[in-house]
Amino acid sequence: MHQVESIQPEPAASAAPAKLGRAIVLTSGKGGVGKTTTTANLGTALARRGSSVVMIDADVGLRNLDIVLGLESRVTHHLLDVLEDRVTLDDALIADKHSENLFLLAAAQSREKDEVETSKMQALVSSLRERFDYVLIDCPAGIELGFRNAVAGADEAIVVCTPEVSAVRDVDRVVGLLGNRFRPQLVINRLRPQLVKKGKMLSVEDVNAILRLPLLGVLAEEPEIVVTTNRGEPLALHKNNATGAAYHAIAARLAGDDVPPPMPPAVKPTLFERIGSLVGRKRT
Amino acid sequence: MSARKIVLTSGKGGVGKTTTTANLGATLAKRGHRVILIDADIGLRNLDLVLGLEKRIVFDLVEVAEGRCQLRQALIKDKRFESLSILPAAQTREKDAITPEQFSAIVERAAEQADYVLIDSPAGIETGFRNAVAGASEAIVVTTPEVSSIRDADRVVGKIAADGKPMRLIVNRLRPEMVRSGDMLSVDDVCDVLSIELLGIVPDDEEVIDTTNRGEPLVLNDANRLRAIYDKIARRLEGELVPFTSFDGQGFLGRILDALKAG
Repeated sequence: MHQVESIQPEPAASAAPAKLGRAIVLTSGKGGVGKTTTTANLGTALARRGSSVVMIDADVGLRNLDIVLGLESRVTHHLLDVLEDRVTLDDALIADKHSENLFLLAAAQSREKDEVETSKMQALVSSLRERFDYVLIDCPAGIELGFRNAVAGADEAIVVCTPEVSAVRDVDRVVGLLGNRFRPQLVINRLRPQLVKKGKMLSVEDVNAILRLPLLGVLAEEPEIVVTTNRGEPLALHKNNATGAAYHAIAARLAGDDVPPPMPPAVKPTLFERIGSLVGRKRT
Repeated sequence: MSARKIVLTSGKGGVGKTTTTANLGATLAKRGHRVILIDADIGLRNLDLVLGLEKRIVFDLVEVAEGRCQLRQALIKDKRFESLSILPAAQTREKDAITPEQFSAIVERAAEQADYVLIDSPAGIETGFRNAVAGASEAIVVTTPEVSSIRDADRVVGKIAADGKPMRLIVNRLRPEMVRSGDMLSVDDVCDVLSIELLGIVPDDEEVIDTTNRGEPLVLNDANRLRAIYDKIARRLEGELVPFTSFDGQGFLGRILDALKAG
């Protein structure tokens, strides 16, 4: 069916040494843990550090990365148009509204995942690695064909997990399926320090006692995410926001900067904060 | 009389399909129905965890399909509810380990010994989704009030409508205070987009995380406010006309807001 082994790297056109960016798939097994949000924010943070970044939405049929970036009305061509040679890559790449050097390759919405040829996906990612410092691939939920196509071209993986037993179990399964090739690193998302303190949520240590992966970042549950998603503005645009800053720390760590290891978010008196902001909002 | 065969699906993952399946199943069982829950998420099963039955799995869906055991051997009885059992998915197999025909045949067999068969669909719209839908005669689409979730639900609604199966909507994890501040879509907004009949509105509840980790469905807790909400959903499913709860003015922050207004 899908011949993975048939893929050859593109022969270099000249003796000019091609740049080789990093191709990183963001995956999780379970849906709704924050793959797309993490992709958008990490892409934004990396681009703001001066790297060139392309994000591929591999969720053919259920695309969402365009919405999170606020680019949904700018999608004219998509991944399958490129894979099937209907348009050039340059025609399909959508420049981000907020950040220089950040591009989106949207998924097809009215097509199916089994229409993607694995070998072509690999070839596409290879050619993007020659043009960009980072190729971030937003994987669909599950471990079916969409997952296999998304990971096919990648050489590294970031697994996104929430502190819930079901999410941890799914990530554990995905790490097993990835095998040894991808050196998976872990992002723990939507941690609620208050619930952890009360013993009602798994802690960072609990999660990683099971998964035992290099920890790339820890993000607190952020009510603002719903708002920013609806508005199409990634939080990483704002370094003064704690979550935005956490994404920038992840980007720095990924780039190999010497930054302090990820810390679980501190317990904050959120109730007072929320009441405060509510009162503040009423007054303005 | 054969059971109603209902698939719970969403397109997007993490919106609460499994939690809804467990709680609705438990509620229907408490109301005296015989209920079988089928986890169709082969390779990424979780329904067993949510119900705290993971240690009692002996056989699974794929083994039933392959004829290696009887359906009744694979069904796990939930001791807390007399008439609730689950058929777990296989964890180390792939979605294509079972065909839509095999899946439908298992659902039919389950339907012979139940009043309700609830099928917990995997996320996405691939093979696992197609299997799950194939076995059902009606659908419950679960969505959260977020643009991405609604877009995915819309895609799923289109696919199920093409099959000619009736479906109803559960809007899950609504945060009334965010709707009020204009930061979250309202139920009306969601229904406008999807234009299918509303079955229930479930507010966001942080207890869900804890109860999932402990394997105890929320509806076991008499004090939890969601218990009454799932009860209403079950009654609507049975055909009763039950008015919808308005979440205006509810919730802790809502009460503070109202107090501030009053002051």
